[in-house]
Amino acid sequence: MRRWRYFGYRLLLAVPVIFGILILNFFLIRLAPGDAASVLAGESGAATPEYTELLRQKFGLDRPMPEQFIAYITAALHFDLGFSFRNDSPVLDLILERLGPTLLLMSTAFTMALALGTLLGLLAAVARNTWRDAAISVATLICYATPGFWLGLMLIVVFSLTLGWLPTSGFENIAEGYEGWERVRDIALHLVMPAMALGLFYLALYTRVMRASMLEQTGMDYVVTARAKGQTETRIVFGHMLRNAFLPVLTMAGVQAGNLIGGSIVVETVFGWPGVGTLAFTALQSRDLNLLLGIFFISACIVVAINLIVELLYVLLDPRIQA
Amino acid sequence: MLDFHSVRPGRRALLLASVFGAAAASEAKAQAPTPRRGGTMVMLVHPEPSTLAAYAVSAGNIPPVTTQIYEGLLTYDWDLKPAPLLAKSWEISPDGKTITFRLQEGVTFHNGQPFTSADVQYSFMEIAKKVNPNGPVILAELTSIDTPDPLTAVFNLANPAPYLMVSLSANYIPIICKSVFEGTQPMQNPSANRPIGTGPFKFAEWSRGQFIRLDRNDRYWKPGLPMLNRIIARFIPDASTRSAALEAGEAHYAAYSAVNAADIRRLQANPILDSTTRGYGMTAALTTLEFNTRRPNLAKKEVRQAIAYAIDRQFLVDNVLYGFAKPATGPLSSVFATQGFYTDQVRRFDVPDRIEIANRLMDEAGFPRGADGKRMSLYLEINSFGEQWLRQGEYIKQALAEIGIDLTLRSEDTATWLRRCYTDYDFDINEPFYSAGADPVVGVHRHYVSSAIRRGTTFVNNKDYRNPELDRIMDAATRENDHAKRAELYHQAQQILVEDSPGAWLCEVQYVTIFNKKLHDATGPLGAYQALDKAWLER
Amino acid sequence: MPDGLRRFARNRMAVLGAIVIAIIVLVSILAPFLYPKGAFSLAGQPLQPPSLQFPLGTDALGRDVAAGVAEGARTSLLIGIAAALSAVIFGAVIGGIAGYYRGTVDIVLMRVTEFFQTIPAFLLAMLLVVILSPSLLSVIIAIAVVSWPGIARLVRGEFVALGGREFILASLGLGASGPRIIFRHLLPNCLSAIITVGSLLVATAILLETGLAFLGLGDPNIMSWGLQISAGRVSLRTAWWVCTFPGIAILLTVLSINLVGDGLNEALNPRLRER
Repeated sequence: MRRWRYFGYRLLLAVPVIFGILILNFFLIRLAPGDAASVLAGESGAATPEYTELLRQKFGLDRPMPEQFIAYITAALHFDLGFSFRNDSPVLDLILERLGPTLLLMSTAFTMALALGTLLGLLAAVARNTWRDAAISVATLICYATPGFWLGLMLIVVFSLTLGWLPTSGFENIAEGYEGWERVRDIALHLVMPAMALGLFYLALYTRVMRASMLEQTGMDYVVTARAKGQTETRIVFGHMLRNAFLPVLTMAGVQAGNLIGGSIVVETVFGWPGVGTLAFTALQSRDLNLLLGIFFISACIVVAINLIVELLYVLLDPRIQA
Repeated sequence: MLDFHSVRPGRRALLLASVFGAAAASEAKAQAPTPRRGGTMVMLVHPEPSTLAAYAVSAGNIPPVTTQIYEGLLTYDWDLKPAPLLAKSWEISPDGKTITFRLQEGVTFHNGQPFTSADVQYSFMEIAKKVNPNGPVILAELTSIDTPDPLTAVFNLANPAPYLMVSLSANYIPIICKSVFEGTQPMQNPSANRPIGTGPFKFAEWSRGQFIRLDRNDRYWKPGLPMLNRIIARFIPDASTRSAALEAGEAHYAAYSAVNAADIRRLQANPILDSTTRGYGMTAALTTLEFNTRRPNLAKKEVRQAIAYAIDRQFLVDNVLYGFAKPATGPLSSVFATQGFYTDQVRRFDVPDRIEIANRLMDEAGFPRGADGKRMSLYLEINSFGEQWLRQGEYIKQALAEIGIDLTLRSEDTATWLRRCYTDYDFDINEPFYSAGADPVVGVHRHYVSSAIRRGTTFVNNKDYRNPELDRIMDAATRENDHAKRAELYHQAQQILVEDSPGAWLCEVQYVTIFNKKLHDATGPLGAYQALDKAWLER
Repeated sequence: MPDGLRRFARNRMAVLGAIVIAIIVLVSILAPFLYPKGAFSLAGQPLQPPSLQFPLGTDALGRDVAAGVAEGARTSLLIGIAAALSAVIFGAVIGGIAGYYRGTVDIVLMRVTEFFQTIPAFLLAMLLVVILSPSLLSVIIAIAVVSWPGIARLVRGEFVALGGREFILASLGLGASGPRIIFRHLLPNCLSAIITVGSLLVATAILLETGLAFLGLGDPNIMSWGLQISAGRVSLRTAWWVCTFPGIAILLTVLSINLVGDGLNEALNPRLRER
């Protein structure tokens, strides 16, 4: 029972966090010079000041700041995240439209990185200071340090253009008009490379954390005891150490979740993946304030949600957690 | 193309023999493919359009999509002369103030409504004149449109407007359906992003961030067309990935900024791809520098000329535009040579001793070199629309260093850049690029006439350049019906402008269209800005 | 300390990392002498593959890629160290105050820290750079702002753990004031942890800087590896050397910093949990 109280407490804490994000975002972006009406007008070519003013009025940019702020907060509480002038559509709709592909990409990359990272970290720790350990360390460090776009482009060159195994970009092959399982397969093929490009960085991260975590466990009393009792190494490793060593990795993963969105910006633009990452990038370039705010808000909500899930898993996995 | 039936019988026999002879000789080669109905073409568009309201927004990435859906009164042939489209024929009165258009019969909009002169009147008077950013310029002289019958539209002009007839294509003034717009606010009309036109393709779906899908219009008024079942416009933000999509055969067509200039030569060498530089005749894109003459450092024309001398335009052509450009000589692109408007008899900045001249001019203007070799410091605002402008800026910084100008590059987001250069006038040098369009009145005048100095309006005269003589000449050219006289006026204008150098003119950009060899008949005089009704795909 | 140094020296990978970093630092110091005309000067024919004259080739404008890598080393190291240092100082202060005073101060500060950890860091950095206009300073500020939370939590955690130790209680008993305890006793004891995490922060900062420059948010007047990569990106398929060599430079730098960081970790904090 106390576990759930703890979890409920964490859930409640999420509320002021989200509110704080709204406040921060609003002032951050209002701090910025320039306004979106002139951008939209500028994209039209030789627009007149009347035209720009028309746009300004249409989007409420001419009202004083406090009014805009209150209007923004009120609207957000009603799930109205404003209107995106550049895309001529409500912000929430735009984000929800693109959220699916991003979540798909993120969860695939995340799961792959977590699963493989845990495994590799475990292997490295078990084979500590042998060439296997060094090889895994170096390989993961290279994955960690390679710029995402370079990796993405190299994947395209190798797997699409040279080998012809995978499509170059996009979410699916719309020209073919696949349906049902064929469509699932088509999307899966398109997903492989972006997920790799996004996930390899985190794979490296989780491998390192898992390895360090496993090494920490090695010196612990229960391991020594288990060995003394004559349990096999495999049983010790997979039965006991894995579970305990995994917890810090999970924490790290939760903390890093927010960065997956940032990382996806680069990967999505390289692969033409129609997600929130590309949306954020174009929004930044065109000073689409409402859209940026919306993306921030939704991203933060996602991170909070992921952290809550991590907390939940913690509560379930670690019997030592108390309220 | 050879018209077989126009050839005399004897020659015909000879031709047949040679054709069959050639065919016999190359039996192993595949036969020339016959046009095939059907198929889905994938075209690359970059960046993704913000809206499809072509009647209200004139950004360059919108027409590749909207010109499949909307049509204009006219289209243009390879000589850039008007050709019939929604207007079957036309007569211009001798005084140039009345144009009578006879409209194509049997045309319906995608929503089933018949196309009549009422739609023409509404498109021009209620939409284009009021919300199209080019409206105030192109339609300045249009006072009213009479519709004596459903298939006739009579344009009444206050003064002759020779530039009007070249600006009636779908990418300038699309013809919209009156019943869709009547009684609504054009900017908020629901059909903005679900356009309803008369064109060969209908709007089907827009999946933001991914693609726009257009389906064949089965009731298109041209018999037997279009050939394609579907066109899909795909959006891929990364330039190298776009090239990869073309190479993998996933995309069949890319034009304008959808093509990665750095990859053009490589793509041209690709066996499944073909390329063309035709179809950009009405674009006349020019990369330029704008000087803020309000600033004391740039107030003297000697300084501005010196800057113009210091820049090696050929270097920019070769290394920033990868060879797909031509050095510019003045404010009018050499594309206008076909109309006789262009002249290169102006002060030339590409002379062998240009650096010496530049240094001398700077001395004469009263800016000697200091102890560190520098004469003055200036800021260059980097165009935020793409990578190559940063490269260009970097080169210009090096070039100006040679004549003692210390240039600092400033790269900002679009909104700040526009505000700084066109509202606050808080800049020294700006490096925009402009498409002049089909006539200088449309895209050139507004940068140099003093009446176009309007704070807050983007892409107009922000240099504070006021030359009454030039104003007079440009004004006269706007109304001059006699073509030869008009050309003479423009020659004078170019000479004055190059001498005064309120700006510097760098390169005429040559765009290249890359397309898959299996795609045929996709190239026309308006390139990516015209309907692909005749285009067809091999299997 | 010398004890730790000896442990470090025994770790071959860490020593290798340290050597590589030393080389990179050396190159960055020598850059103005090796390339007096600067990396932006148009030295040769554009897009030349690596040759004797230009061992790393030339880029689209004819600039020497090797000169860019050398000068870029300075910029990237400068940005990395400055950003990491700012983040460490600011984070240590926040974490220290929270960890020492506990109570409401602790709760509030930790909520704020958590808050900043929740925000997608890269998005925030992007936004800050754009608002402040891309420049050397704005990049450093942006990276520092998104990096300090980790340090804050670390320091706070250390302070809380050390708080119950005897020598602290003794000092308090003897009447030592808060700041004195913080600076003379607590901070020095977490110095090794801070150094370890701080050094890794330099690597992260360099990667962040690359990411920002890749998206066009770097300072256009200063040569950096990120700028080289973003410039060479469009010609990746035709002139691979333009962005590959800076990419390798980044790889080696980040790699070696991590090796050194790992080595420091093992040498100085034998029982410390990795964060």
